[in-house]
Amino acid sequence: MSALLEIAGLELAYGQVAVCRNISLRLDRGEIVALIGANGAGKSTTLRAIAGLLSPRRGTIAFGGRDVTALPSYERSKLGIALVPEGRRVFPFLTVRENLELGGFNSRKDPSTLKRRMERVFAMFPRLSERSSQNAGTLSGGEQQMLALGRAMMSEPQLLCLDEPSLGLAPIIVHDIFQTIRAINAAGTSILLVEQNARHAFETAQRGYVLQTGSVIASGSCATLKRDPRVQEAYLGRTATRR
Amino acid sequence: MTTTIVLQQAINGIVLGSLYVLVALGLTLIYGVLVQINFAHADFVTLGAFAAYFFMHLVGLGYIPSIAVALIVGAAMGWLINASIFTPLRRKNNELLPLIATIGVSVMMQNLMLAWFGPIPYAFETEFSRHVIRFAGIFVSWQNVIIIVVSALTIALLYVFMKFTFLGKALRAVSQDRETAGLMGINPNFLIMLTFVIASALAGMGGAMLAPVLVLTPFAGTSVIVKAFAIVIIGGFGNVEGTILAGLIVGLIESYTTQFLNPGLIDIVVFALLLLMLAIRPTGLISERREENV
Ligand SMILES: Nc1ncnc2c1ncn2[C@@H]1O[C@H](COP(=O)(O)OP(=O)(O)OP(=O)(O)O)[C@@H](O)[C@H]1O
Ligand SMILES: [Mg+2]
Repeated sequence: MSALLEIAGLELAYGQVAVCRNISLRLDRGEIVALIGANGAGKSTTLRAIAGLLSPRRGTIAFGGRDVTALPSYERSKLGIALVPEGRRVFPFLTVRENLELGGFNSRKDPSTLKRRMERVFAMFPRLSERSSQNAGTLSGGEQQMLALGRAMMSEPQLLCLDEPSLGLAPIIVHDIFQTIRAINAAGTSILLVEQNARHAFETAQRGYVLQTGSVIASGSCATLKRDPRVQEAYLGRTATRR
Repeated sequence: MTTTIVLQQAINGIVLGSLYVLVALGLTLIYGVLVQINFAHADFVTLGAFAAYFFMHLVGLGYIPSIAVALIVGAAMGWLINASIFTPLRRKNNELLPLIATIGVSVMMQNLMLAWFGPIPYAFETEFSRHVIRFAGIFVSWQNVIIIVVSALTIALLYVFMKFTFLGKALRAVSQDRETAGLMGINPNFLIMLTFVIASALAGMGGAMLAPVLVLTPFAGTSVIVKAFAIVIIGGFGNVEGTILAGLIVGLIESYTTQFLNPGLIDIVVFALLLLMLAIRPTGLISERREENV
């Protein structure tokens, strides 16, 4: 199997404060890999480093066999890395359509491709099509999440990094979002999924990594992780095992 | 009689206002993208005025080509100063450095121009200044017709660029969320450069058209920039539509104050309006911007 993403010995810091120590993980083509951990464990920080928003103090990030550690975010986007950031971060004063267009910025010279991709996003999220000329800042939280996901899909990335796509959403929408994530993966996009909701993450992903205060403390197939006592205690709740 | 005066002053106000809009738009664009005030902006206005003056007198192709030359000189200088001074300083991740550097650049440009052009005011006459159209008792010089047409075209062009082109949308994205724009594949440094070039081009061109009404010395831009700052604030920092509206309003206020009150009161009236705006509508005339997105 060929690794699409390979991270080795990553050390990340904000200023002088080290947040992640020695993180190593890999993701093969076609996989969904979950990254779980408590608040402040360093999940978002790790995704930011993968997308190129934060340069590591130490360690390497390889994408498609190429060392991308020194590349800025806009170069990594051209290589096929997309991030749906924490808090959605839609452009509030651009319309839904303009947000999507910018998601396809790398293919701006190819209007027919953009049109096809936008139709696909609208088919995935009909709500966005109804609101296409509305400013993104006026959308509801769930709609903004759809937009952030649709915007990332406009670049047809090889690797889609999702930072807590279910945060703050109604259970019914959460269900839809995870279904969409599986559909995106089935169509060939590899996914790195950060989730606080470990149950959802394990249902969706094939493998997982558990992060605790900036270090990987467990990894393996989701089936194995579910049985790991440390994971059960911290993320699944003991009651689940007793029943 | 009075209607004629009111109309006459409306035209004068729109002429002046269009020029203020050109200057203020550059400030607003730079503020939008960098959240930084460019204190050197005034000196690009002066530079444009001198570029037009010398092109007209040394090359002799007339006034209109000299406006284009001022635009090009402004754009080129904007590019040069951004690339050589502002970009390296921005990499240092210190918010104050680039701001102070704009003051430094301003002092430097003023003194270079002082060394080359001297302190004595230049008389900027164009071949259009003395040709006047007259209808219904109102006088409009060809000079003013050119100003209105050229500014209106420029503002419309900028609007179309911002609204309908990929690069214009990318520019707005960078000013709303630079980091996320990077995730889209947009190179923020390229758009910052583009913003400086556009802003300086507008200032240079504004300078060429303001020159006939300014006292053209190396410090000429300073008299305009204070009003431009007021316009940027009244329009709501970083808001293009608001800036256009505010610029025209300030131009009109200035011409009516001159006519009916006293030219000495212009700044007082403009700043009274500014304070009033800050009190009743601190987000600017067209308020839509700068709320946090949750
Ligand atoms: N911009 C920042 N400056 C300084 N420290 C930061 C910054 N962002 C995050 N941190 C710190 O880094 C640590 C890891 O944060 P991170 O956002 O990666 O956690 P997380 O695992 O995503 O948590 P959550 O589940 O709450 O989103 C936290 O202790 C946080 O306080
Ligand atoms: Mg997080």
